[in-house]
Amino acid sequence: MKFTPRLPAENVNVSKTHPLVEFAWLVGGLVLLCLLVFGGLGLAVDLVVDHVSLPVQKQLGDMVLKRMPTKDEAALQKRLDALLAALPADSPLRRQSFRVLLAEIPEVNAVALPGNTIVVFAGLLREVTSENELAMVLAHELGHFAHRDHLRRLGRGLAVTVLAVMLFGENSDITDLVSSLFLPWQAGYSRRQESAADRFALELLVARYGHAAGATDLFARLVRQGGRRPPRLLASHPWPEQRIGQIEVWIATEQLPTGFRQPLGADLRRLAAAVSLEPESVSSSLADGTRH
Amino acid sequence: MLELFVRYPDLFSLLLLLTLGYTAGTIAEKRHYRSIRRREAELVRMSVVTAEGSFPPGKVRRSFLVSGSAVISIDYFKRLLAILRNIFGGRVKSYESLVDRARREAVLRMKEEARKKGAGMIINMRLETAVIGRNANRKKSIGSVEAIAYGTAIVFNR
Repeated sequence: MKFTPRLPAENVNVSKTHPLVEFAWLVGGLVLLCLLVFGGLGLAVDLVVDHVSLPVQKQLGDMVLKRMPTKDEAALQKRLDALLAALPADSPLRRQSFRVLLAEIPEVNAVALPGNTIVVFAGLLREVTSENELAMVLAHELGHFAHRDHLRRLGRGLAVTVLAVMLFGENSDITDLVSSLFLPWQAGYSRRQESAADRFALELLVARYGHAAGATDLFARLVRQGGRRPPRLLASHPWPEQRIGQIEVWIATEQLPTGFRQPLGADLRRLAAAVSLEPESVSSSLADGTRH
Repeated sequence: MLELFVRYPDLFSLLLLLTLGYTAGTIAEKRHYRSIRRREAELVRMSVVTAEGSFPPGKVRRSFLVSGSAVISIDYFKRLLAILRNIFGGRVKSYESLVDRARREAVLRMKEEARKKGAGMIINMRLETAVIGRNANRKKSIGSVEAIAYGTAIVFNR
């Protein structure tokens, strides 16, 4: 056999498709897949949410509470009970019992947990100056319960995470990609929920006090203090300015009366003063466990 | 525009990495292929066969092992393309050129070594590939492929 040196005429080992064309096809397919699956999943969660029993909800809530040091406070519970008494007679919330807990976390925040629990953070208690303001916050969280947002959000977040991990593996870039594509949509969804809860809160505030004074005080003060934007860039809440604007529009269009703000009761002032004495380092280190 | 950037930093860093990976990766690949083709043309007279080969007595002066290896890394764009392929299946085209480049570069280096040592041909050539940085689809790990070519170089008597 004679060996003749020559170069191959054509390379068969490398496909000729342009990589960008291939990329477009694959990304298109993935986006379509995500829309179908996550859309369907969102619907499924919404259907299931109405049938989650209270014991299951309690268990879910306790899972979160275990990582957050909280205590019962009669002063807060009294304010919540007063609000619940102001609920319209046909409200489904009437048939349930709610409790409010105080968490020694310096953040200005409050959360609604499954199992009819509201957690008020110490930072918020130090920030409020009138009963009406506190009532607005509590009513906002009650609004989440009324719309079952706490379960919906938990369910959707869980479903998306589980699915992405199942499809693409726990640690892969594609899971991150899907989350980053999906989170803005999810954030928009939860901004709508917040707005609905604000609406609910305003109505309850008026039912309780007969006027809408104090509805925007807390947000206004937070805006004035300025500087501290929500830490997460994909904020789940609308900007405080937008919330104030929206609430003021509601007050104006429905011509809700405004009256005197009721000053904070002595028991609440004592409570706020007591928690503010808590050493910051302890509470913040505990808070780090729940934040990420 | 700036607001968009602040709101979706992850998406933007992803796009940046993709563009960087695609541009740099494409330039590197084009340059490499040019160099491969030029050197292949230069070394085309160095015959390389996979046959074991036997020669009449007195024809071979010296024989020794020559080898060449090359490690080629993927870029971010190729990696994403391959990850997407892992979902839908099919030929992982983005990796084909990597393996092709690695193999041809390894053979070229082997030939260059043989020429330096005065050999006239290489017999019994073998090619192997290895993965360096397994789990290329995982975060924080680099995937690259190594190809190694080795064979017996023959120096003939004049």
